[in-house]
Amino acid sequence: MASAAHTVQRKRVLRAPTATRLRHWTLRGAAITYLVAMIVVPVAAIISKGFAGGLDTFREAMASAGAWEAIRLTLVTSALAAITNAIFGTMLAYVLVRYRFRGRGLLSAIVDLPFAIPTLVTGVMLVAIYGPNTPIGKAFGSVGIQLMFSQLAVLLALCVVTLPFVVRTVQPVLLELDTAEEEAAQVLGASAWKTFRAVVMPAIRPAIAAGALLAFARGLGEFGSIVFVSGNIEGRTKTAPYFIFQLTNQFKPDQAAAVATLLFAISFALVLVTSRLVRTERKEAKA
Amino acid sequence: MRAPRSGVRLFAIAAVLAIVATACGSDSGDGSNASGDGACTPSDTPVLTFAAYSTPREVYGKIISAFQSKWKEEHDGQQVIFQESYGGSTTQAQNIVNGFEADIVALSLAPDVDYIVDAGLITHDWTTAPDEGMVSTSVVVLDVREGNPKGFQDFDDIAASGVGVLTPDPASSGGARWNIVSIYGAAMHGYAGVAEGDEAGAQSLLTGVFKNVVALDKSARDSIKNFEAGNGDVAITYENEVLTAREAGLPDEAVYPPSSVLIANPAAIVDVNVDKHCVRDVAESFVDYLHTDEAKEYYRTVGFLRPTDIAAAAAGDEEMGFPPIEDLWAVEDFGGWDALDEKLFSDAGIFTQAFADAS
Repeated sequence: MASAAHTVQRKRVLRAPTATRLRHWTLRGAAITYLVAMIVVPVAAIISKGFAGGLDTFREAMASAGAWEAIRLTLVTSALAAITNAIFGTMLAYVLVRYRFRGRGLLSAIVDLPFAIPTLVTGVMLVAIYGPNTPIGKAFGSVGIQLMFSQLAVLLALCVVTLPFVVRTVQPVLLELDTAEEEAAQVLGASAWKTFRAVVMPAIRPAIAAGALLAFARGLGEFGSIVFVSGNIEGRTKTAPYFIFQLTNQFKPDQAAAVATLLFAISFALVLVTSRLVRTERKEAKA
Repeated sequence: MRAPRSGVRLFAIAAVLAIVATACGSDSGDGSNASGDGACTPSDTPVLTFAAYSTPREVYGKIISAFQSKWKEEHDGQQVIFQESYGGSTTQAQNIVNGFEADIVALSLAPDVDYIVDAGLITHDWTTAPDEGMVSTSVVVLDVREGNPKGFQDFDDIAASGVGVLTPDPASSGGARWNIVSIYGAAMHGYAGVAEGDEAGAQSLLTGVFKNVVALDKSARDSIKNFEAGNGDVAITYENEVLTAREAGLPDEAVYPPSSVLIANPAAIVDVNVDKHCVRDVAESFVDYLHTDEAKEYYRTVGFLRPTDIAAAAAGDEEMGFPPIEDLWAVEDFGGWDALDEKLFSDAGIFTQAFADAS
């Protein structure tokens, strides 16, 4: 009995190196192939298409009406949406983790809705609620604020679409955070706000930054909801993704690719910068 | 925990800069100077919001600057500012009904304008303008591969088995209805292998074509892009689309079925909005300008669009490469859009049935 078990174990040990190596090799190969086929190749194709003719293609694209304004609008509204959601997303995550109340599960599920709703529907929905013909739209209109078909509409749509990111990055960190430190701070007489700032904030800051960055990157590309809410006025409410769409419609796929490259270059640079900042901060936090 | 260069802080700085940039850069007034109903004081620099369908963006770019210089000359150097918006024709109409305050619309088909009329925003009878309110026209063509390898001539050829057809979805693209109306009308006029007046024959022709549809794209332009990407053997589209693609260096070729509907694109002012913004005069002048020979030349040479007069449109234009059309007819021949909508697209409509049979 014992010797039989021993042989089985021996056999396994003897076989392991080749099998494991093969398994690792297959696993790694499959994962990398998938990533390359799905992301690296298409992105490379876009870049090479956009810059096959050097910078001229890009210059031609940017010479058309409202080009720079479209890119600026997209950058600004995406950044503002990221910040808004950094603030409110953190609040939501904190409430969801630290408080126990009826309907908490439902609230948590609602947070994910923007991922599940087609963004086109988000656009239609926003116009149905905040459009100039609706009671809310009229109320804002009477004080001179136009919610829909304006730059504000773009911001609102992006806030909705990117809402889950910060909540979902901050929530797991908060869950793991030991409440003892918070309690200690409060016992020592710190106010709730002071406790949050001095104890909770440093721990969740990298998560907020990461979530906000994802929200920003997601905002750069938003198209579906924008079509219905912005009015797409050149130089005013036309966004970069809509501009890219127009370029493809004018049979200028290379120019569209050049502008698209600019957008994800910005996005990619920010990812790199933030991941570095977050890493240094983590080190400092540990030290 | 003392992290002076934290990601969050960097983001905050970027944000503040961004806000300052927008505050300084844009949103300098929206040109609305409404002062109740009736009399209003026009602005020194009137702002017109112009909403058009996607295709003629370049044409309107040219027409607008020509109009601006003309207006400047005739009005002591007054500058008219245009806010241009281009998108799907039906989307534009819906946005306007939902409160997008466009002063002027240029859409791809009359029903989209009527949708705005029905919402009470266009209150004048826009069809009494010159050319019945239409500013440009085109004809339905078959966009085929270089050299027409499959030898398509008419709609019955693309109804044959084994052909891959692209056409926009009539449910999402108002413009897609032109294609269906054209197939139906050609059949009713005795073309495409159907006896004149044979409604059942027209329906089975539609069934045959839609059996072959490999992609129902959301717009005519999407159909061409999809075709360009290598999908299908033929795209049903409009002459100006194919000529624009050719101008852009693409190898598309147009085959002209002998019978086609006259595709007519309307333009009109949106009464409620022009009065709200106090820009009626200048908006009306702009729409009038769209009917001048000067504007027509832009439609022709930049947009590859035919003239609004049906006889002139049918005669073709050798210089522009528009061949004559044997049997060119208007939707009015079949009682106009309302009658056609009922006949073709209602629940018991001919197209509705043909489409159900095809799928």
